[in-house]
Amino acid sequence: MSKYEATIGIEVHAEIKSQSKIFSNAQNSYGKMANSSCTVVDLGYPGALPTINQEVIYQGIRACHLLHSTITEKMHFDRKNYFYPDNPKNYQITQNRTPIGRGGYLQIKINNEVKKIELEEMHLEEDTCKSVHKGRMSLLDFNRAGVPLIEIVTKPCMHSKEEAVLYLEKLRETLFYGDISDCKIEEGSMRCEANVSIKEVGAKTLGVKCEIKNIGSIRNVGIAIEKEIQRQIELLENHETIKEQTRRFDDKLEDTVLMRYKETGNDYRYFPEPDIPFVVLTDEMIDHALSSLQLTPDERREIYKSKGIQEINIEKLIANRTLSDYLNTYLDTELDFVIASNLLLGDILSYLHKNFIQLEQTKLTKEKFLDLVLKIKNGDLSNKNVKDILEDVLSTDASVSEIMQQKNIQNIKDSSVVIDIIQKVVTENPESVKDYQEGKDRAVKYLMGQVMKEAKGSINPKLASELLLEFLKNTSN
Amino acid sequence: MSKYLDLSVLEIHRLYQEKKLTPKVLLEEVFERIEKRKSLNCFITLNKEEAMKEALRLENEEVGGILWGIPIALKDNIVTKDLRTTCASKMLENFIPIYDATVVQKIKDEGLLIVGKVNMDEFAMGSTSETSYFKAPKNPWNEEYITGGSSGGSAACVAARITPLALGSDTGGSIRQPASYTGLVGMKPTYGRVSRYGLVAFASSLDQIGPMTRNVFENAALLNVIAGRDEKDLTSAVQEKEDFTRLIGKDIHTLKIGIPSYWISDVVTQEVKEVFNHVIELLKEEGNQVEIVDISYLEQAVPLYQIIAMAEASSNLARFDGIRYGYRTLEAENVDMLYEKTRSEGFGEEVKRRIMVGSSLLSSEKAKIYYDKALSIRKDMRKSFLDCFSQYDLLLAPTTTSAAYKLGTSLSDPLKSFMDDVLVIPVNMAGLPSLNLPAGFNQDHLPIGIQIIAAPFEEAKIYQLASFLEKKLNLDLEGGHIDE
Repeated sequence: MSKYEATIGIEVHAEIKSQSKIFSNAQNSYGKMANSSCTVVDLGYPGALPTINQEVIYQGIRACHLLHSTITEKMHFDRKNYFYPDNPKNYQITQNRTPIGRGGYLQIKINNEVKKIELEEMHLEEDTCKSVHKGRMSLLDFNRAGVPLIEIVTKPCMHSKEEAVLYLEKLRETLFYGDISDCKIEEGSMRCEANVSIKEVGAKTLGVKCEIKNIGSIRNVGIAIEKEIQRQIELLENHETIKEQTRRFDDKLEDTVLMRYKETGNDYRYFPEPDIPFVVLTDEMIDHALSSLQLTPDERREIYKSKGIQEINIEKLIANRTLSDYLNTYLDTELDFVIASNLLLGDILSYLHKNFIQLEQTKLTKEKFLDLVLKIKNGDLSNKNVKDILEDVLSTDASVSEIMQQKNIQNIKDSSVVIDIIQKVVTENPESVKDYQEGKDRAVKYLMGQVMKEAKGSINPKLASELLLEFLKNTSN
Repeated sequence: MSKYLDLSVLEIHRLYQEKKLTPKVLLEEVFERIEKRKSLNCFITLNKEEAMKEALRLENEEVGGILWGIPIALKDNIVTKDLRTTCASKMLENFIPIYDATVVQKIKDEGLLIVGKVNMDEFAMGSTSETSYFKAPKNPWNEEYITGGSSGGSAACVAARITPLALGSDTGGSIRQPASYTGLVGMKPTYGRVSRYGLVAFASSLDQIGPMTRNVFENAALLNVIAGRDEKDLTSAVQEKEDFTRLIGKDIHTLKIGIPSYWISDVVTQEVKEVFNHVIELLKEEGNQVEIVDISYLEQAVPLYQIIAMAEASSNLARFDGIRYGYRTLEAENVDMLYEKTRSEGFGEEVKRRIMVGSSLLSSEKAKIYYDKALSIRKDMRKSFLDCFSQYDLLLAPTTTSAAYKLGTSLSDPLKSFMDDVLVIPVNMAGLPSLNLPAGFNQDHLPIGIQIIAAPFEEAKIYQLASFLEKKLNLDLEGGHIDE
């Protein structure tokens, strides 16, 4: 698409993690029996009034901080009036004039360059009911009514599906690590809408915007945007006009489908919610909210990099927050993070997967983990040793040393013992020695294997290979 | 036939303590009077069985506070658990709430006896109670006349001496104006003094529940029961608990009283002016200082009020859609038709008129021109009042422009009732406390009231002046009670 340029803006609704709902004390929960978690407030009962869940305000403050938005110190809520069966009061309490955060950005890395995705604003609001349609009947589940949401709106600043996808991945990671939202798209706790328009390259004004709703995964956001750009280009190429409209993404078609044309501007008759006084976000509140924030994904990346962990392992750790959190409990220890991350992402993770358990369900104590990594580092344990003892380390109370004793693992660190073994192997394999002398590299590998076999694996491979090479050099001179 | 209901609450309390009277006997008298005064059309729903049960339960209990065992009527926009709450609308004709309003909880905890739910303008929208789906209540002083509104049933009930106490709600004068027309003491407390939790909202930023009673002391005693911060209502104020009766009976000689000039201008009829001037003379004779003051925007108060009240109402009443509770149209092909038919059939004309005007006022650009502007002028008006209170202890004004008029007069003119409320509305706009005190009669022997207005949370001061005047005026206010 050389002639055209796409402009994309993204709106995300994320369900905020909290004990109770935003304006009532009903539990904020997912997957409970329908209508078991709602009060007269959530039902929009006559006479019922909203209260404010302070926890949700704190979450909003955290989101502002993590997305570099300016916090609105004195904010209020507004009513957005529209009739819909899933909207119990037929108005939604949201923020229109004083969103909790204005501006801000997230950084993504695209084609090895860092790009700032700029935000317009973010605001707090209540979720609606969930409607379930059964034949001619529509059923309403009020458990979702009043669940706190944060809506985050970007500026129309993206130009490709790749940017949109990277932005959403970064946003999900940020909200998830900030403990602000679970961001489970499949459970509806994160919902994405994309606004797409195209214009000729260089044109000053933006094209007609189409909104795509109901996209069930980040991957599908990419597909939806791509298809929408194509659709719009085709229309323009055929000299047809693009009508402002709302479309939805159809999973089966893997394409967008028209929902409705935009009528002459939706009139939500916004006005300040008179049942909720202004909320003043004091410095104390902001400090309190931020005091519980954990390290962000980017902060973690920096730390891991400085500890020498490989890029690929860093990303694997960020993708597995439990392991990352676990590893971070060793930040003030002498732990070797390279060995530790290999161990966690390798043998330990496969053990957990195999047994369908979480790390905290194992018997791995802090002392044991430190000891294990240190023993690997010092050559007391070889990779093979680790595989042999890991199950016992994770499933019994015994210490690493006790297990090694039981399994009769004693790593040979005494050079003279290693040299004895080398001597024996070399003597028994004159052919290979000859091959080595003729410059065949694989001979060393073979000999090394024999050495390890002779030592029953209880030898530090690094030490063995150093000594073997030295021995061979000496014998050939 | 006994006449315990003609005794003061303090006298009844003493009889309870001396075991010379039981709540059950008093309650039976209430239901006899209800039967006898059926033509007044006070009640929408009676709570006879439950009230009797409660009265019997109280007999096994120690006598409590002074309102223990005293019968009370509740305006039918205050939500009562298991007791039908209609807001005098077809929309809620069969609506039985599943929770109690905070004020109802407080009343029950104190041992008052809830006799029933009383008539009102539909959703409190009106000034004559004639918009009620259950037809208008009648003024006990003369049944051809209006009770006023919207708390008309509460007013009629107490004026006819059926119950000593009633609760009303006041959004734009709905307690004080009917109190004035029926010779009662009616208090609209400071906005935030009484929890609105469980009051079916008309205009959230103006609504306030308050007591309607036969005399000043009983009014203050009832406010003692219902006032206080409620965690369930964020607009309820954090204030220390106080006894609103504490200044009652203290003489008044050195007060500085202001009279807003607009309120004694030609908007007020001669009959009201005469009664009002008499009160002024009386206060001056006792050595108090009375001066004319100016308050900004008073003459614009009615249109400003209309904008705010109708805008908020249009949103507050959106929830009545036939989906979760209340009236639902019999047949509808789709959701839009369900809304349209349910609301067309369930709401009365005045309610629909206000919803339409309110919706229009909030539409797109109009919101800025009207609603935002009204809010900002309202702030200035409040400031003007507060400035005034830095120099004056209290403000005094007539409550209504005239005495009660005949039923049916205002039905042809939807604006008449608003214009009648020109004297009461500014107080709601500024969120101030104000009390109607019966101060005299017109030629037809219909009551005329004055209102005493104070700075926010100065209700006790209002009661002090009111009780002083009550004693000085010493009016016979039994005109609504048919004595046999």
